Amino acid sequence: MAPMTRMSKGVALAACLFSGQVFADITVTDSRGEHTLAEPPQRVVVLNWDLAEQVLELDVTPVGMPNISGYQEWVVQPAVPAGVADIGTRTEPNLEKIAELKPDLILAASPQKDLIPRLEALAPVLYYETYSQSLNSAEAAIANFRQLATVFNQQALAEQKLTAMSERFAELKSQLNQAFNGESPSVVAMRFANQTSVYIYGQNSTTNYALEQLGLTPAMPLPATEWGIVQKRLTDLQKAGSSYVLYFRPFNEEKQLQRSVIWNAMPFVRARHVNSVASVWNYGGAMSIRYIAEAMADSLFEIAPNQDVVASVKGGQD
Amino acid sequence: MTRSLSFFPILLLLLSAVVGSLQIGSDLSLSRQLAIVTGTQAEEFADIMFSYAQLPRLVMALMVGAMLGLVGSLMQQLTQNALTSPLTLGTSSGAWLALIIVNVWFPELVGDHSALAAMAGAMLSLFLVIFIAGPKNMTGLPLVLSGMVVNILLGSVASAIILLNAEYAKNVFIWGAGDLTQNGWESVQWLLPRLSVSFLLLVFAPRILTLMRLGHQGAAARGLNVVPAFIVLMAVGLWLVAASITAVGVISFIGLLTPNIARALGARTPRVELTMSALLGSLLLVVTDAAAQLLSQLTVDAIPSGTTAAAIGAPALLWFSRRKMKAQDQVSIKLPPSRDRLAALSLPALMLLVAGILCLTAVFVTDGHNWHVALPTAYQWELRWPRMLTALSAGVGLAIAGTVLQRLIYNPLASPDILGISAGATFALVGASVFLGMNIFAVGSALAFAGSMLVLAVLLILGRRHQFAPSSLILIGIALTALIDALVQFALAKGTQDSYSILTWLAGSTYRVTEGKAIFLFIGVATLLAFTLATSRWLTLISAGRQFAAARGLNVQLCSALLLGAVALLCALVTATMGPVAFVGLLAPHMAVMLGAKQAREQLIVASLVGAAVMLIADWVGQTVLFPAQIAAGTLVSVIGGSYFLFLLIRGRSR
Repeated sequence: MAPMTRMSKGVALAACLFSGQVFADITVTDSRGEHTLAEPPQRVVVLNWDLAEQVLELDVTPVGMPNISGYQEWVVQPAVPAGVADIGTRTEPNLEKIAELKPDLILAASPQKDLIPRLEALAPVLYYETYSQSLNSAEAAIANFRQLATVFNQQALAEQKLTAMSERFAELKSQLNQAFNGESPSVVAMRFANQTSVYIYGQNSTTNYALEQLGLTPAMPLPATEWGIVQKRLTDLQKAGSSYVLYFRPFNEEKQLQRSVIWNAMPFVRARHVNSVASVWNYGGAMSIRYIAEAMADSLFEIAPNQDVVASVKGGQD
Repeated sequence: MTRSLSFFPILLLLLSAVVGSLQIGSDLSLSRQLAIVTGTQAEEFADIMFSYAQLPRLVMALMVGAMLGLVGSLMQQLTQNALTSPLTLGTSSGAWLALIIVNVWFPELVGDHSALAAMAGAMLSLFLVIFIAGPKNMTGLPLVLSGMVVNILLGSVASAIILLNAEYAKNVFIWGAGDLTQNGWESVQWLLPRLSVSFLLLVFAPRILTLMRLGHQGAAARGLNVVPAFIVLMAVGLWLVAASITAVGVISFIGLLTPNIARALGARTPRVELTMSALLGSLLLVVTDAAAQLLSQLTVDAIPSGTTAAAIGAPALLWFSRRKMKAQDQVSIKLPPSRDRLAALSLPALMLLVAGILCLTAVFVTDGHNWHVALPTAYQWELRWPRMLTALSAGVGLAIAGTVLQRLIYNPLASPDILGISAGATFALVGASVFLGMNIFAVGSALAFAGSMLVLAVLLILGRRHQFAPSSLILIGIALTALIDALVQFALAKGTQDSYSILTWLAGSTYRVTEGKAIFLFIGVATLLAFTLATSRWLTLISAGRQFAAARGLNVQLCSALLLGAVALLCALVTATMGPVAFVGLLAPHMAVMLGAKQAREQLIVASLVGAAVMLIADWVGQTVLFPAQIAAGTLVSVIGGSYFLFLLIRGRSR
């Protein structure tokens, strides 16, 4: 055994020298502070969906992630490549399964915070907080994206994607501006809980950030909360007046809602300032903000006053 | 005379509650409101809000409140049991499970068929409860008990489904919290025709109920066909309740509380009790709903009506239980045939079994497809032993707690979870999480212990007054369990990812138990086991009767208090370490008796071994069956133990 190990180390060293790289500790930052990794990680296990999304966006395929079928249903993009192992639920990831995957890095988020000491017995753990009352989720997601890029030595890709995202925001912003005849509509972004209750995205949510990037103003600003949402009664939406109201799908009771007198009496419904938004994951990573913004912009285009502009914009895209 | 005297103030109160509740969150003047009610066309948005949101909400509260009160009174009179109510008969948990199933597996049906599903679930669970208790046992505790067991059983299945499919179940959470908000008259129009049978009830039920007061034989002698009459009335009541909770969700306590208030106010005849309960039900629901609306205006989050109903109802129920809120106490439960004495080989065989399970869980593993036997690696061992030790200690701890409790209060149905002692610990921890924002996994056992002790103190104070009659003890369990339920539903309805932490914890899993905690639990349980074994003579003497024990020179008061303290400590330890675990405290002592362990000391040892074996198996199955996902040991134990309990009740029925 010993000579083999020595030999393979020798090969590795030669390879490094050849490629001009030198083994050096990588200094990375997570939500707890600075950490040092001995080598660039090859086998990563991610414990939360938002981090899985971030890592996949950086072209890194994790060896394990939680509840893959759930991810495919709710987060959808980016797709999970074949061969990624399922490690159980997000609240109770299967530690034995993780150990079996022999990770050299584990990425954890707030639902797994209390598991960090036990995970550290397996591999170095980096902890990234995105959703917290004291954080602006979008800024945190973007900062985490950059920090993860450093971990995987993908800074260039990350910057490229972030720039593309900003450019896309600017493009959509100007298109929306035209479609709304130079006005900046105020918007309520929300999700239905049932026909009488809604979850409104508050000021520290990624959804709110996406709204701002599109040059829109939130019509019902709500205080920061841990998960960026506040449950409200449907009737509270009257405060939105004739602002634009966007609700994320899936919502299974759409047909029933159409029959509701209260809903139809809402000023924004009368003004036809309401539309559904394709389903997106509102608790994702940096790139999910782009998907949220694109989905909301698409929805707004459908109800924008100047449909000629919309037609030309859409035509130009295709 | 009494009738007009007591009805008038209630109607007056109801009227003022109605008018008062309409002023919450409405910008309209009273005269404008009156104009709209009397037919003026709604124009402004505020008008529409008033006539299509506030008015239907009020009408809904009046209707549902009246139904809950009416049916509560009907059921209590039929069963001659002040503890019967829709809440205690498992209705809401049946509907809850059905809705969860539809939302998770058939989301495309949610829009059109959730009402149907909820209704079917509610009716099915009620029939299940009645089937289990049996038509002959309708008047006793078995009905209430089987309701509670069905509640726990269906509830834990629903929680397990939610935990494995977190995202899908979200839309049901608001319903679970009980919400009267309306967005038009549609729900009222849906519900109203379904409630029309209640008039038949008001017309025909009083006569039948009057006859039934004579006792079944007396009623039969007067020409009443008792069993069919009973079944028809019960079925109508169930229908009304199922329709109501389908429309507005889970609203507890009103049905249980109002008939008791009505009787306390002097309702003597069946007719007066029914009408007064209905009126009081309306009044209570309008008031609690107004409280919910007021609170919602003061806080950022919308507060569901069910939460306020429980917050007001639970203390009120306990307060009422000071009075004579007695159920018939005969519990016709017979343990299955048991051996006369412990076979010589039983004890070693059991020990071998536990050791065997320990070895099995240590080496037998799955990778999701294949099973294989392998010695655990150092890391696997590090993960497995705290869980195994926790399962073992929890099983032993709850088994001792159950044995001691059953012997102390002379009731084979006493179990720490049914009496609410575990629920006290759960309540303290969930409360800390919901109100103080503490991480439920980090909250310490001191708080859990305080919760258990508090419940125990209440039990002791209330219990002594009733000589530890099971009904008053079970009542506390019911009140607390429902209060916790409302709290949990409130937390879930917020729709944040935190809800899942609470649910995960409530499932009772060994997953997060650290080495230190496992050892702490083990030492705690071992100490208390030693204590109970050392004092098993007390148990033997007290089991023979308090006077007998006192005659033998035992300070019965002191010994009981010490033993009950040990029970509370055990429950708190287990609950704080791995979350609530139901039924082990009931099942293990029974198994011990069936195996022939009839002396206190023997029963303690054998029950401990049985408890340990059950918990270990549940924990291992939970970790392997859905690999890599896991089911909490507590959930599996609920299903196993719940089924056993139902089996017991069905057996008792055929006697």
